[in-house]
Amino acid sequence: MKKTWTRSRQKSVWGVLFVLPCFLIIFLFVIYPLFYTGYLSLSDYNFIYDRAPKFTGFSNYAKMFLDSDFVHAMKTTLFFAVFDFSLLMVISLAIALLLFFCKRGTWLFRTAVFMPIVVPASLACIVFSWIFSENFGLLNYFLGTALHLPALARPWLTQPGSAMSSILVVNLWCNIGFETILFLSGLQSISGDVLEAADMDGAVGWKKLVYVILPNLKETYVVAGIWAIIAALKVFVEPMVMTNGGPGNATLVLYMYIYNNAFLYFNMGYASAIAFVLSGMILFFSLLNMKLNSEEAER
Amino acid sequence: MSAKKANRFFLYLLLAVIALIFVVPIFYSLFNSLKSQQEILSVNMTFFPHRPILDNYAYVFARGGKYLNYYRTSVVITVLGVVITVICSAMAGYAFAKLPFKGSGVIMAFILFVVTFPLAALLIPIYIMEYNLGLLNTAWGLIFPNVMNVLPFSVFIMRGVFKAIPKEMEESAEMDGCSVFQTWLNIVLPIARNGLVIVTVFSFYSIWGEYTMGKTLATEDSAMPISVALTMLKGDSWNFGVLGAVITMTIIPPIVVFLIFQKQLVEGMVQGAVKG
Repeated sequence: MKKTWTRSRQKSVWGVLFVLPCFLIIFLFVIYPLFYTGYLSLSDYNFIYDRAPKFTGFSNYAKMFLDSDFVHAMKTTLFFAVFDFSLLMVISLAIALLLFFCKRGTWLFRTAVFMPIVVPASLACIVFSWIFSENFGLLNYFLGTALHLPALARPWLTQPGSAMSSILVVNLWCNIGFETILFLSGLQSISGDVLEAADMDGAVGWKKLVYVILPNLKETYVVAGIWAIIAALKVFVEPMVMTNGGPGNATLVLYMYIYNNAFLYFNMGYASAIAFVLSGMILFFSLLNMKLNSEEAER
Repeated sequence: MSAKKANRFFLYLLLAVIALIFVVPIFYSLFNSLKSQQEILSVNMTFFPHRPILDNYAYVFARGGKYLNYYRTSVVITVLGVVITVICSAMAGYAFAKLPFKGSGVIMAFILFVVTFPLAALLIPIYIMEYNLGLLNTAWGLIFPNVMNVLPFSVFIMRGVFKAIPKEMEESAEMDGCSVFQTWLNIVLPIARNGLVIVTVFSFYSIWGEYTMGKTLATEDSAMPISVALTMLKGDSWNFGVLGAVITMTIIPPIVVFLIFQKQLVEGMVQGAVKG
């Protein structure tokens, strides 16, 4: 009896030791920064001129409403996120369904769709800026020479509207693979009984899809939805590398505005406050998505 | 029946087109790296190279010292980052699965919660901290934040793998007089090989391609990883061929690893995303 007691005690001591390195890293680079960002968001702190942060209460948060650049970045981000989220969910689900129904011989297609997951996003952005470039870009060449529609060719990254769509396309390219994996695993976990019962009832084709398969993906919508919300709201690499927020500030998104405030203007306090707003938005929309999907499931 | 067949054919065709769109950028950089500068900028441009040449690669190895430096920085950060991640997550994952202590559940839950946090909310204090410690523009200054970034997912994967190992394994090792540490090192870790593979591959491609932290914490040219440095060249160097060669050299390693370990990685990602 005594021996097992010492063993379990020994185990918990080892447990603490085993968690320690991981905990130290998380503490230093997550927990401490989180609280410090919270404090900075309530302070005025120019990293170049000020020796220490000066507590100013909620003035940073109040300032946002009067800051036209912030309002613009917020609008841009929400506009982008709505399209990015919807397209990401719809296209990924569609590709997952295609892969699910064409069971045989799809490994090559599957690999192609998943591959962008491991390609460094910033380098993909460089390649895409070549593709979108005006004079020797692949896209304009394709439109002009292959489709004979030179009227559609344009300087994609230097016009406000098309710059936004270009960023959207690259963000989709980077994120669809992962979302497709989630949807595909959701489809594969629908039990065979459910599908068989549907077959028995004579549900085929579109009917089977709409009445049997799609409603059975509830849990997947929650998970895939959260990742899509995160991907859409924290878009940063694409505008940073491809347009630098331009033309003008047409593609200035919140994440980039945080970066600019913190690391170009060194307004650490104001940048922290915006970072908290962005984190709050991600949390809010994730919870909303979870709630909407669980309510529907209860009905 | 033939309508069904036609349907099927159409679905496969659609899939093929989608798959093609997804690989075009990858092959575009590969093909550009095999073209001469004149060919890339010529009026009659083509997707495939006319006459593939290796000049651009030769240039990188002969005179592209700065590219090789960026590459080396990335290799150092990635190798050390992956090693630390694997060790830390194998230890912490085992503790959370098999060595319960007071408060371990709370810590585990918090580590999982961290996954949803945008880096933006952490980067500013990390920057100030590293500035004060003199870690900005150093390899370690990038290694630790990168490890932090991939650690939650890795711990989660390892915990799942260790949980699935029957406790009889460890009990018999105990009988033989193994200490907890010896049991972990000699008995349990070899069985958890699959999880170690997932964590290695995942942390490898995440750290290799990381941009945001690199952009923020490495502001000097000499300290930049390749994923950041190449984006800075884009404006002043329109040398597409050479840049294409460097990009291709940078995206090939993660793609090869992905092709080898695709099955484990996809399973691991589902586990990590769904439960996490």
